Order: sequence, then structure tokens, then C-alpha cells
Amino acid sequence: MNFHILFIMKRVIVLIALCCSFSCFSNPIKGKVFGYENSQKVGLPGANIYWAGTSTGTMADADGMFTIQPDQKTNLLIFSFVGYNTDTIQWNGEETVDAVLDQNKELNEVTVVQRNKGTYISKINPIYTELINGAELCKAACCNLSESFVTNPSVDVSYSDAITGAKQIKLLGLDGTYSQLQTENFPNLRGLATNYGLTYIPGPWLESIQVSKGAASVVNGYESITGQINANFKKPDGIEALHFNLFASDEGKTEVNSNFSVKLSEKTSTAFFIHGENFQNRVYHNIDGFLDEPMIKQIHLFNQWKYTSGTGFMIHSGIHYLNEDRVGGQTGFRKNMQRNDSNPYGVNVNNERFEGYMKAGYDFKNQRQGLALITNFTYHEMGSYYGLNTYSGNEYTMYGNLIHTLYLDKLDVHALSSGISIMVDQADEILNQSSINTNESVPGVFSEYTFKPSLKLTLLAGLRADFHNTFGTFVTPRFHLRYGATEDLSLRISAGKGYRTPRVLAENSFLLANARSLNFAENNILEEAWNYGASINQEIHLGEQPLSISAEYYRTEFINQLIVDRESSASQILLTALDGKSFANSYQLELRYEVLPRLDIKAAYRVNDVRQTINHQLVRKPLTSKYKGLITMNYADRLKKWMFDYTVLFNGGGRFPIVAGSQLNSQTEFPSFTLMNAQVTKFFRYWNIYGGAENLLDYTQDQPVLGADNPFGSGFDATRIWGPVMGRKFYAGIRITLNHKSK
Amino acid sequence: MKKLIQFFVFSLVLVAFATELKAQSPKSDLVTVYFKSSMDCVDCEVTMTNYFKFEKGVKDLKVDWKSNTIKVVYKSGKNTSENLAKGIKKKGYDANVITEEQYNILMVEGTKK
Repeated sequence: MNFHILFIMKRVIVLIALCCSFSCFSNPIKGKVFGYENSQKVGLPGANIYWAGTSTGTMADADGMFTIQPDQKTNLLIFSFVGYNTDTIQWNGEETVDAVLDQNKELNEVTVVQRNKGTYISKINPIYTELINGAELCKAACCNLSESFVTNPSVDVSYSDAITGAKQIKLLGLDGTYSQLQTENFPNLRGLATNYGLTYIPGPWLESIQVSKGAASVVNGYESITGQINANFKKPDGIEALHFNLFASDEGKTEVNSNFSVKLSEKTSTAFFIHGENFQNRVYHNIDGFLDEPMIKQIHLFNQWKYTSGTGFMIHSGIHYLNEDRVGGQTGFRKNMQRNDSNPYGVNVNNERFEGYMKAGYDFKNQRQGLALITNFTYHEMGSYYGLNTYSGNEYTMYGNLIHTLYLDKLDVHALSSGISIMVDQADEILNQSSINTNESVPGVFSEYTFKPSLKLTLLAGLRADFHNTFGTFVTPRFHLRYGATEDLSLRISAGKGYRTPRVLAENSFLLANARSLNFAENNILEEAWNYGASINQEIHLGEQPLSISAEYYRTEFINQLIVDRESSASQILLTALDGKSFANSYQLELRYEVLPRLDIKAAYRVNDVRQTINHQLVRKPLTSKYKGLITMNYADRLKKWMFDYTVLFNGGGRFPIVAGSQLNSQTEFPSFTLMNAQVTKFFRYWNIYGGAENLLDYTQDQPVLGADNPFGSGFDATRIWGPVMGRKFYAGIRITLNHKSK
Repeated sequence: MKKLIQFFVFSLVLVAFATELKAQSPKSDLVTVYFKSSMDCVDCEVTMTNYFKFEKGVKDLKVDWKSNTIKVVYKSGKNTSENLAKGIKKKGYDANVITEEQYNILMVEGTKK
């Protein structure tokens, strides 16, 4: 992610000796080229000196001295040297010309300068990482993190049931729980927040998102199996002073997002973020008598502080408060109704969450090492019911990570990041009458070694050991290799292990919108999997623009896994440990090209081959698409005052869960379907407006709620979801941005 | 609400296409001016681009910090080169009008950096 940019300070001192102003017109010009090395002015041997626009030139000698003949066509003399800024001097007939070149300064910052490309794959990072920046986030209505993946080929977004509006993402064809969700580079939104966590991060607050596929770095824990998704918020010391976003959809959903930052001094800054969303209309297009979309009220407040000492010390902290209420179910349902089977079926989920985090870093000057401390604390309270099922819980999470980075030699060939971490999770959940308690405390140690002998090769090897209070000690090895064969071709391979302690109920609570009861043992499974991957990125120069092609393959192989078995029993859903094989293969091909000036096209195709052993048989994972195709088009006019975005998604069909002896078995496969989104944005100096439509073809899943006419009967199931529940949706919005005055 | 949002989206699309079509109209009254400036970073390029694209009459634009040049194409009658130069100076940079030839030389040098 260290995206180096050359930040070149151009300050050139020109020393011109004006000793002879006559009779030297055709004489050769003499001079010396200087540079500063350790604040000493030294000659630059081998520096290039040539006349602008010509091939007439010379090279400086061992002391930096040179002679050059005057040129007929131009009087602009250019000086250049590797590692220094090139300079141009106008020659006015002087006999000697001396030049002092400035050294290039390389800033070690994670800065994204690409303004045209909203998404791109890091060429430098050894871990296959896709960066999604603000430009891409503006291409969709993008109300929250889950929706910001709509234009992304790697991440699938789908609903987990027809009632709660809970969204799931899938990476490499596997559930989102197997990819670690992070905010500001620490694991977040786990446990009780799993199902709705993605909707807790408003898109307009984000600066960028990084999606890394396959084994991730061991620094952030043992949990990531298929990859990592990291969301970075806008920073208080950033350029943006004020941002205001108002969004409304034709169904009556409104959203307000706003953030503003205040620079209290050169070193201290703070930023406030507000998010409010409200949707209170009862929308039902199909005839099943259930709301298509839950009614939602959400408020989210966030305050950030940042202090930079200027001498290597940095501290960054923030607090979040969130409250959300969701109501879904039959159209006649009201929250104040008594809960019995003669009243309409209803679902209500209320979440309240408090979070505080602190990150501190110190860079030891001239010692080539740094120290970073990341801590985070959350408290989450949840109360819900799904028809007659009542489910509630509360959870405390604490996370701490201390990382020490050491560069072992002068040229940064060897680097070592080591540290210690602690994760504590305490949760009490109650489902109907039974209670489930989770008590996890996991201290860990880790070390990651980076070997970077040249720009071409990077090797990353990490190892961590964690000491779980229930599952004992487990070891996580991970390995990455990146080889840039040429400037345009890079290869990556990775392999690594991951573990997870699934929260059986919290992660699958949406299954309660179903007549069958959940049959599960307590939280006593430690999921364990290997992930292997390889990818190739090639840029081919076709005309002026490069065509970028990437091909990748990832395989995840589970040693132990929590399996959701909807097929063995007609009266229960079993949540059990894997007995047999379980794996996922993901093959993806992606092309990006600027077909016409300012018309960018991205096309991608992925095959998901996900199999699990369910009821002693190795079968395709139910409700998982066999493939996904994506085409996105982005067109901007010459000055980028207008922008058009168009996305087509092709979703492959897949298998339905089959229940022995049930009438639902008539259909064994769900069909493939196509979705289309489009958006127009008009930019003004300080604001922009946008309007668009989601699901233009108005495609919805047939019968999202099974047994809808008798929701308290045995045939009721709102969790067999494979396609969209909501039809075409028009939306419009406005964004206002004011920047801080630049110096 | 429903109708209002739908109406807004449709009119936005309509205006967009109308603007695009209008942009294809004759370019005879377009003036190109070249400046040598004193920008020293990528950020300045971004700042200047964002500033200029919303200036009156500006139809095309190329701000390049490496060669320190700014090329502006504008509609005559809607703006003047003096006014554009004033804008650059107001942002804190130099604005010396140069010829197309000088501009091309500077651009070539810029790519070598």
C-alpha cells in the first residue's frame, strides 16, 4: 500500500558567472553541475547536459565539469541526473554556466493520486490489493459500505433474507465472515454487528477502501481467511473542510451525511461526522403481503482527533455512537401490536453501539524503526424479534495491538514487523429461553519479515501464535511473493492459514425468519482453513492507453468449518461442525481499458466453485451463484463536468437447499439473472448533483417469502434468498464540498 | 416524492445529453492561451485544474506541473486571457503568456522529469 509518489521540490539556484560579455559567442560553454549530498555541495559526475528539443548534449566528467557547444536553434540548456530534479537554464551568451540540482524527495505516504481511475490494483504491494478511492465511491449512490461494492468485480453483495435488509458480502465466493472487516486498519464490526456491520459505515465518510484477496498480513490477526476489507475514513487533517450529502430515493428513503474538520493548530485537528437515515414508507410490490424493504431509522455520530508532533509522534483517536431500528414483516404489522400468531408477522431489530479507538505511532528519527499502538473498545447492545422468536444480546470487545517495525539495513532490503496483540470478547445472548455466553480472550505474538532486494521482488513471510482461552495455542503462517518481471507484468503468489471462532447465533440470526428451529451446539467450533492464490497482472500498450489484464485463482480449503445445514431435517436448521470436505475455488479474469477518450470500460468474469459436505455428501453450497460477470462503463466529458456511469451485473444460477420430504423440492436450481444500474453526475465548483437508478430492469426474485400466506405455519421461510427483493429504484442527491485554503 | 425524484433523474439525463450535443457545435470562436507558471507539486495541478474548469467560457484545459504550463481553451467573448492570468496569480502562481512553440518545448522537457 505504500504508494510512493515523487514529490519534487523544485528550487534551483543558478550561478551564472558574467565575467566576459563580449567576443565569446561561438566559444564552447563551460560549467559545473552540483548537487547536495549530506548537505555538502558536491560535483555530480555523469550528469547529462543537453539542448532542449535536440539530441546535442554531453556528459559531466568525474568532477561534474562539462563543456558544450552553443546550439543554433535553442538557448534552453537542460541538466539532468538520476535521483535529482531536472533543471532548465536559459543561456544568454555567458561563458560559464553552473547548475545546482535538487535531490528528489520520496515521501513514504499512502497517497492515491490517480484521479481518473476510481479503482486500481496496487503494483507495489506484495499482497494483491485493490484500492477503491473517493472517485469510485461517487459512481454509485453509495449510501454505505455494502453498496460501494456494486461496481467491484471481486466482492458480491446480496441480501441474507427477505425481511431484515441484512446485507452479506462474499469474497472469493465465500461468506463475508471469512474476510476480515477492518476500519482504520483494525478488526471491527464482529460478533453482534456482523449482520448489519456493512450498513454502519456511510460511504460519504470514506476516503478509500482496500480489498486484499487471499491470505492477509499476520499483523492484524488470525481471522482473515479469504481476505481483508479495510475502510479508511476521511481524516481531520485532510484537505476537505466541509462535506454535506443529501440523498433521497423515489420510495421515500432519505439520508443525510455530513462531516467537517477544524484545524485547531498546525499539529492538532478534529473532525465531526453525522449520518442520519430514515425510511418509514411501507413498500410492497409483490403480492405476498410482506414489505420489500424494512423500515429503517439510523443515526451515527463520529468524532475524530489527530495530533502530529512534527517530530515523529502521531496520535489519532475517535469515538462512534450508533443507533438503528429496523422494522419488517407483513404490511399490516405495527410495532405496538401484541406478539401472537393471530396478529401479522413482524420483525424488529434494534442495535445500539458505542466505539472508541486510539492509534499512536512514533518514528524513531535516524534509527530506522517505528512503534505503533492500536487499541479499540466497543460495546454493542441488540434487541430483536422475528415473529415469535425473541433474540437479544450485549457484547464488549477490546482489542490492542503493539507493532514494532525495524529496517535492518540502510537500503530497506530487510524489514521486520513484530508485536503483541490482545483480543477480548465478552457476549451474552438470549434466544427465546436459552442463553449463550461467549468469553474469549486471546493474547498473541507475531512477526513479519519483508525482503525487498530490488524493485522487482518482494517477499513477505509472517508467523503468529495465539493463545485462546478455550481452544489453546494455534499457529498462523502466511507467505506472499510478488515478482515484477517487467514494468508491465507482475506476478503474485500467496499461501496462508486462518482461524475463526464463529458466533453461531449472532452471525446467523437472520435464519430466525423461518419456521424451522435452529439446532446448534454452543460456540465450540474453531474454524480453520488454508488459502492459496496466484495472480498475474499485465499491462499491454495499445495506442495511447494501456489495456490492463489480470487473471487470478484462489483456493480456500477448510479443515474445520461451521456448516449451515438446511437439508438434513425438515423441522430444523442444523448449525454443525464440518464432517468431510469443504472448499472454494475462485477464478477471475478482469480487463480495463479506455476505449475512447474518457470512456473507461471494465469487464470481469468470475467462476465460483464452492462445495461443502452437507448431510455426508459433497455438494455445491446452496444459494451461491455459479458465476458473476460485470461490465462497468464510465464516461466523463472533456472537463469532467458531467459523468456517466453504467453497470451491468450477470449473476449465475445456483442450487437450492433440498429438504427431504418437502414440497419445495420441485425446483432444484435458481435461474441466472441480470441487473443494471446507471447514474449521471453534474459537477459544479463547490457541489455536485447526481441522479440514477438501481435495478433498471426491475428484476426481482420470484417468491422471496415462502409460505407467506401463513407465516406462523410450518412452510414459512424468508431466508431462501438468491436475487433482488426490491425492484427498480430511482434516486437523486447532492454533495457539497468545501476545502481548506491551501497555502 | 416518488414523481419528484423520477422527474429529477430524467431531467438530469436530458440536460446532460443536450449539453453534450451543444459541445459538438462549431469551434470557430475558441481561443487558446498558453501560460508558463510556477507550480511546484502535483497538488497544485489538481487545485488549478479544479479552479479553471469552472471558470467562464472554459472549454478545454491542460494543467501540467512538470513543465509548469497551463493551456486554456475558452470561448472568446466569455472570458479574456488577462482575466485568466489574473485568476492564476490570485491562486499564488506566476502567469506569463507564452507562444504555442514555447509551450511545446516546455512540454517535451516536462516529460523528461
